[in-house]
Amino acid sequence: MSAQTALESTIVPTPPEETLRRRRSGFVTSFLTVWSSPKARVGIVLLGFFILVAILAPLIAPYGPTQNDFARNESGGAEHWFGTTAAGEDVFSQVVFGTRVSLTVALIAGALSTLIAVVVGLSWGYSKGILSEIINFIVNLFLVIPGLPLMIVIAAYIQNGGLAMIIGVVVITGWAWGARVLHSQSKSLRARDFVTAAQFSGDSAPRIIFREILPNMTSIVVGSFVGAATAAIIAEASLSFLGIGDTTRVSWGSMLFWAQNSSALLTGQWLLLLMPGLSIALLALAFTLVNFGIDGLSNPRLREGTGR
Amino acid sequence: MTPLLQVENLSIVYEPKGDEPFRAVRNVTFSLEKGEFVGLVGESGSGKSTLGFALTRLLKHPARIEEGRILFRGQDISQIEGEELRRQRHGGFAQVLQSGMNALNPVRKIGNHFYDIFAAHGHIPPDQREARAKELVGKVRLPESVLNRFPSELSGGMRQRVSIALALSLEPELMVFDEPTTALDVLVQHAVMETIKALQESEGFTAILVSHDLGIVLESTQRVMVMHEGEIVEDGTSSQILGKPKDPYTQMLLSHYADPRAEVVELPGLTVRGGSKTVAHAPAAEVAGRIPAALDGVLEGAHDSFVVQGISKVYPPPRRGEKPVTAVDDVSFRIDPGESVALVGQSGSGKSTIAKLITGVEKPTSGTIMFGDVDVAKLGRRGLKDLRRQVQMVFQDPYSALNPLHTIEYILSRPIVNFTGAKGDDVRKRVHELLELVELTPADDYAGRMAHQVSGGQRQRVVIARALACNPQVLIADEPVSMLDVSLRAGVLALLEDLRVRLGVSLLYITHDLLSARLVTDRIMVLHDGKVVEAGDTVQVLRFPEDPYTIKLLDSIPQPAKAHARSAAAAAGAAARA
Repeated sequence: MSAQTALESTIVPTPPEETLRRRRSGFVTSFLTVWSSPKARVGIVLLGFFILVAILAPLIAPYGPTQNDFARNESGGAEHWFGTTAAGEDVFSQVVFGTRVSLTVALIAGALSTLIAVVVGLSWGYSKGILSEIINFIVNLFLVIPGLPLMIVIAAYIQNGGLAMIIGVVVITGWAWGARVLHSQSKSLRARDFVTAAQFSGDSAPRIIFREILPNMTSIVVGSFVGAATAAIIAEASLSFLGIGDTTRVSWGSMLFWAQNSSALLTGQWLLLLMPGLSIALLALAFTLVNFGIDGLSNPRLREGTGR
Repeated sequence: MTPLLQVENLSIVYEPKGDEPFRAVRNVTFSLEKGEFVGLVGESGSGKSTLGFALTRLLKHPARIEEGRILFRGQDISQIEGEELRRQRHGGFAQVLQSGMNALNPVRKIGNHFYDIFAAHGHIPPDQREARAKELVGKVRLPESVLNRFPSELSGGMRQRVSIALALSLEPELMVFDEPTTALDVLVQHAVMETIKALQESEGFTAILVSHDLGIVLESTQRVMVMHEGEIVEDGTSSQILGKPKDPYTQMLLSHYADPRAEVVELPGLTVRGGSKTVAHAPAAEVAGRIPAALDGVLEGAHDSFVVQGISKVYPPPRRGEKPVTAVDDVSFRIDPGESVALVGQSGSGKSTIAKLITGVEKPTSGTIMFGDVDVAKLGRRGLKDLRRQVQMVFQDPYSALNPLHTIEYILSRPIVNFTGAKGDDVRKRVHELLELVELTPADDYAGRMAHQVSGGQRQRVVIARALACNPQVLIADEPVSMLDVSLRAGVLALLEDLRVRLGVSLLYITHDLLSARLVTDRIMVLHDGKVVEAGDTVQVLRFPEDPYTIKLLDSIPQPAKAHARSAAAAAGAAARA
């Protein structure tokens, strides 16, 4: 007995203060893990840049986004860096203010579709039998319907929508993929002994789902949020470009819509198409790069520079 | 003559990114003569596998050979890389992995695995490859027909034999077996070990057997090295280690082996004699006094019995066209209040299915399970919750049975809140009582820790505490010590036995380990292919087994003492004749 207690006590004698400290620094550790990936570092810097631009838009932009008392169809120059639109608006100011729309849609739509994905995916993973089959059917339904046409149909049906409509459409079409990923993960966690143990401890199903299973998949939830946000940026741009929703609101997508309408390329105003397009690509890239780092958080094997 | 392998002052360090470096092997020096069969024994974390991997140069980042030399046939292999290393693998060194059976490519036939190796090293002309592959599988006692099968069509034992044959295909001079039988079932384990021994004798290669199980190693090897915290603490012949171990660590390891057939079975903290059973840890006289005062009033002990009659469980066929699987076949037994019953058998014998059936997790195909006057098979969700207040489970794997994100206090508080309706300070008090009950003191310290901040043995104590939190009548313990290091097992078993007696709960102890069954149970049932083949008093059944299956199970337990007595007798006989 004595040899055994001696062995046990040598292993992890952690004082309680240290326990607290370690728990508090959990977030910091996760951030450092993500930061340690060079790709994610680029992504975080890029994302931080866009967030700053969005917050400080009125300070950065020389003019208002809808101010249209400038000469029309001007090329880029000292006065108007990226030129002016056919309606006589400053393109640089529009790009800066457009960041706000894209980021808002990305964050809100990403968060909402992740929320739905978490609730559906986890209950699906935990349930058995007929209920699981029904959810499976619904999720598959949303997965096989091509996204963009569905968005267009829904958007056309709702008609007079602003930003809220775009967000709604993106959420409705975007949650299913995340739900499926979370489902398979929660299914494997469900088979773990600690879930059975919680059942033996008398815990209810919702409590097991949200207190036992969910905290073990935080990194996957975050990854799924970032993925959904990326998809939302692109979906918003696509819808606006197609002229669905409010075309008078200045967003990167609607800028492309108006540039296309005024045949900007034919008139040699390529900056009108390039700048919003590049911004969309860069913001989506930023989110994607961050996701590389988050992969390392959920699966240590994917951490860069560790495996050989 | 120079030894085949000379390891000089070898140190291996793990350097994980952003974490403290950790030295797993410290200044190890030893040498191996040609044809030796050496055991390398240690508990988890002792560095034995790291050392084994270093010898065959299979170490992966972040592990690194820090200093020292590995001289193989006089050449230092500790720093060679790439092509030079690859060429050494032919006729040099090979390794059989613990999970070697899972290392086969599932979409390629067994034969192709051999041909790939032959092609890579080009030492067998194409027209002789098939003949050579047949010869190799013959050596590990597999039929030639396995070459045309896919890995998924073979059993775990057969796949491990294939991976041994693959390691042999390059005619290595040095073979490292890293826990070659640990992932296998008891009976299969025994057979594979026999094959390895026979192969080593007939092929004459030098072999290192890395294992946590001193029993297996002592039984099969001539020389044993014991590792503890990265150092070799003892190096001697098997009979020396068995007879007079010098290092206290080796002595401690050895003290945890015993023959379940003996009249007196003794482990540190636990003694079981012929008929009656005593727990040295907590003599009966002291028992009453040691129950914490606060628990005294609440405890009633068990008063209902489990009566299981003719239960069967048939699972639907695994694949179309196959027969349904009968996991449990017409089993009847009863567990009376306060009784301790063992359910033993190899994997696939249906013992875990019985645990699922009597806890209501699954429903039997036929038969009845009565607990008191409750029919377990007919319970709904509400009824199951009530049943779990009375019947609790101790899980096998302490690493997966505790949620890594909760504190021990939270984990223990759940059953208290759900079943006893206690609130606030009462819950806290009860958590502390439970921690003291399982000897995790000071309770204040342990309550705030996360599961990953305590060791394996302590985790299992938490699992036991959780099972006892709602004062159940019956504990179902499914292999509660099989995942623990040998030196921790006796402590956890003693605790379980002690608490069972003190709190008066019934116990169904499920295991493949007959020694532990002997130590903590009164009655035993031996399960084979879903049927009970032998049942009765534990001591009676294990000392004087009648069924051939029980005898087979008993024989598969490594008994170093007996094996060495045999070889010593043979040697003495030979000497007398000469």
